Amino acid sequence: MKFRAKIVDGACLNHFTRISNMIAKLAKTCTLRISPDKLNFILCDKLANGGVSMWCELEQNFFNEFQMEGVSAENNEIYLELTSENLSRALKTAQNARALKIKLTNKHFPCLTVSVELLSMSSSSRIVTHDIPIKVIPRKLWKDLQEPVVPDPDVSIYLPVLKTMKSVVEKMKNISNHLVIEANLDGELNLKIETELVCVTTHFKDLGNPPLASESTHEDRNVEHMAEVHIDIRKLLQFLAGQQVNPTKALCNIVNNKMVHFDLLHEDVSLQYFIPALS
Amino acid sequence: MAAMLKCVMSGSQVKVFGKAVQALSRISDEFWLDPSKKGLALRCVNSSRSAYGCVLFSPVFFQHYQWSALVKMSENELDTTLHLKCKLGMKSILPIFRCLNSLERNIEKCRIFTRSDKCKVVIQFFYRHGIKRTHNICFQESQPLQVIFDKNVCTNTLMIQPRLLADAIVLFTSSQEEVTLAVTPLNFCLKSSNEESMDLSNAVHSEMFVGSDEFDFFQIGMDTEITFCFKELKGILTFSEATHAPISIYFDFPGKPLALSIDDMLVEANFILATLADEQSRASSPQSLCLSQKRKRSDLIEKKAGKNVTGQALECISKKAAPRRLYPKETLTNISALENCGSPAMKRVDGDVSEVSESSVSNTEEVPGSLCLRKFSCMFFGAVSSDQQEHFNHPFDSLARASDSEEDMNNGSFSIF
Repeated sequence: MKFRAKIVDGACLNHFTRISNMIAKLAKTCTLRISPDKLNFILCDKLANGGVSMWCELEQNFFNEFQMEGVSAENNEIYLELTSENLSRALKTAQNARALKIKLTNKHFPCLTVSVELLSMSSSSRIVTHDIPIKVIPRKLWKDLQEPVVPDPDVSIYLPVLKTMKSVVEKMKNISNHLVIEANLDGELNLKIETELVCVTTHFKDLGNPPLASESTHEDRNVEHMAEVHIDIRKLLQFLAGQQVNPTKALCNIVNNKMVHFDLLHEDVSLQYFIPALS
Repeated sequence: MAAMLKCVMSGSQVKVFGKAVQALSRISDEFWLDPSKKGLALRCVNSSRSAYGCVLFSPVFFQHYQWSALVKMSENELDTTLHLKCKLGMKSILPIFRCLNSLERNIEKCRIFTRSDKCKVVIQFFYRHGIKRTHNICFQESQPLQVIFDKNVCTNTLMIQPRLLADAIVLFTSSQEEVTLAVTPLNFCLKSSNEESMDLSNAVHSEMFVGSDEFDFFQIGMDTEITFCFKELKGILTFSEATHAPISIYFDFPGKPLALSIDDMLVEANFILATLADEQSRASSPQSLCLSQKRKRSDLIEKKAGKNVTGQALECISKKAAPRRLYPKETLTNISALENCGSPAMKRVDGDVSEVSESSVSNTEEVPGSLCLRKFSCMFFGAVSSDQQEHFNHPFDSLARASDSEEDMNNGSFSIF
């Protein structure tokens, strides 16, 4: 198994750092999957995560150099488990770096070694190295870490500005843990919480809906009919807190009473986040 | 005339003073106010005796500086000088020196003086419009501790801008306990301690290599790797924010303490940190940086167990120090160890650093590692032992003393440093 990658472009480096910060906020431990043409950060829907799952994808051309050799010729992939914060903290020291190199190494135990060449005031550069311990995930567990199948949503809608959504949800969290998220095909999205004493709803309008995949089945449906999911507000808040920068594209798919699926695009990095309905 | 201190500072001087207190608070929860003709020294030592800090403000730092010591005439015409023995808790002092930037801006004058009749230190801040803030803090009578460390005999000396140290510190998390400094004549590397990262398989191991041309002064006599406590390193960085002087680092081989100093003419700060001893360090000749130090923590502890002075040594390494302990028996044992060592330089030093000749310390075929640490422990007891010896040599003095100074004597032996 081999992996070596290098970034020399400052903008790419900053973007990679931001992605890593986002992953660190979304998942304490995650899986990094390395394949010949891309990298994925994966969180699978185990009970320990509360059923939440995440799939983040970066194209290989993010890196100036990218070489990998998987477990075997037929299974040309590498699956690693790591503590996300270790990676984001290591990348934090890569501000103003001339170059960033990442490679798979085995010093005492398997590591992902992040090596940064920093600009310094003198002629010699400073070199910072971080050895992040990782666990190699055996092939028999790979089937649980595949890209989640996105079911046909009942409603698909563009999200409002995430910062606004986050401040609304933050305040709601103090009132109740149980949030209802509902939306319709008329560009309306509501966030509702309800307790014995009070009921609070925030309405977002004119959000717009992406064109539906299969128009025919929903022709006779009432455009104003709301699809809803009851979810744990903390999971939504965790997702929103991870979004430091407003994404290029943000979509929300609701499967009535089953789950909500967020589909974001940060420049060329895609992020999918699934929150199941409360049982 | 009692032992006393009185000094006056301006706003900007208070900021430096406050930073010194904050820096020392990284080492210990208590510190001594120790005035002498050299100036006002703030001294502290940590509970495991593996770190010592001292910030000396010269008399010209202050707007006004006045001090005195109590001189006791004895029958033998050998006067003993009793300096102020004042120990203060950080918990009482830190809140007073909070918001240093606003203190610097708003106060016109700060007065600090002692009232030895009541064992109190009074700190007064004078603001505009006649506003005055007064704090009365009780102090504990306690003999200050000093460490004797000759920077001039160190093989390795570096001088760096504080910025460089700040950049290096960012690499490590606050949970990092120990860091290793590795030098060759050409470069410098600060990294997380190998021992620690092998214990915890989830810990990230970080390293930073810096070229020698980034240093103001870079003199390495011997390839060395030394390991010491990370938290205490941050102490000197806190203080460096108050001055613009570079930080000097003096060190030798593993086991011998490391000194971090800042000297800007008016204020001199010294932080002396214990380093982890390496069994092979004495035996082997200078090696390259790849010296494999495959020592396990448990092995070190085992070897040290059962030796007299290893109470302190253990704490230096294991970091499981009991918060504070009385050391009555061990104090006496150490003194006898000192006498065996025949080291001549263990006096109560008035700031002049006297040389500790290394050869005078070793007298047996002992495990080199423990020897290094034992020597370090001996250094700490320098002040205490001399006090004891004074009393041994002048038995009549103790009878002639007033009742409170008898307590002093007891405090000298048993006090919590």
